[in-house]
Amino acid sequence: MPADDAITELIQAGRAEAAFERLVPAYRRRVFGLAYSVLRDRGAAEDVAQEVFVKLWQALPRYDGRAQLSTWIYAITRNTAISATRRQRRSISMSDPTVFEEVESRGAAPEAGLDDAALWRSVEALPDKQRQAVTLYYQEERTVEEVAGMMGLPVNTVKTHLHRARASLAAALKTAGWEVA
Amino acid sequence: MNDMDPRQKELEAQLRRLLGSFDASAGFDKRVMQRVATLATTGAPRADLRAQLERRRELVRWRLRREAWMNGITILGLGACAAALLWRFAPEIQQLAASAAWPVDRGLLAAGTLAAVGAAVWFLLKRMETTSR
Repeated sequence: MPADDAITELIQAGRAEAAFERLVPAYRRRVFGLAYSVLRDRGAAEDVAQEVFVKLWQALPRYDGRAQLSTWIYAITRNTAISATRRQRRSISMSDPTVFEEVESRGAAPEAGLDDAALWRSVEALPDKQRQAVTLYYQEERTVEEVAGMMGLPVNTVKTHLHRARASLAAALKTAGWEVA
Repeated sequence: MNDMDPRQKELEAQLRRLLGSFDASAGFDKRVMQRVATLATTGAPRADLRAQLERRRELVRWRLRREAWMNGITILGLGACAAALLWRFAPEIQQLAASAAWPVDRGLLAAGTLAAVGAAVWFLLKRMETTSR
């Protein structure tokens, strides 16, 4: 990734602050997306994303380039998100009401004849890993390889999760009256 | 993906539309930059982090040192016990060795003992060297 190279070069040149200024916009969506895929709560995901960037800012001068920048950032994000999940220990469903309301207000997509809210509910009902894979894959037109890197899983495992998720979504939507052949 | 069913394609497109725009709220970058700027001004977290790391490192060093001393004391204790037993039961051991079916080579016995002591001392010195780093 060219942005990663530029950021790494800045860090190695001892310009951690400048590197950080580039890193935040380059990784915001990925860090937030990954945090959200684990936490399923927009507010909590934003808090975790902030925490991750603060950690990165603190650790950036010590980054030695041995691991890929993205791998390093994803590992920090995953760990921070998992710690946050443990802290929360919510017994109720962690589906984010704010996102759900936002999606519901959009209503059905006229061109597709498919209800966004129904699709969102179906995504939310997927098993954790499948939901994570779907959220990350479709969030920013990512490749399966990138999603695998973000989730810390082998590429084939992510492919399986995506395949199963698509099948589950099609089945769920078929039940809801939307025909997927 | 190219030979995908039209309905599946529609589902893919819908998922992209639904999740594609998913992002942190507006002003997120600014808030992060403000937060780190505040931290940079106070300098507390970095100093805290350094101090925390140093404390942890010191704790590990102390544990390793204690472990090395305990190992050393244990080995010396066992050695002393073995020596005392040998001293105490020397005649019996001598008698046993004399009556044994196989001949005991004193030189071999001494070499074996020296090798065992040497190995123990080498192990101790190695541990001391690691912990003093």
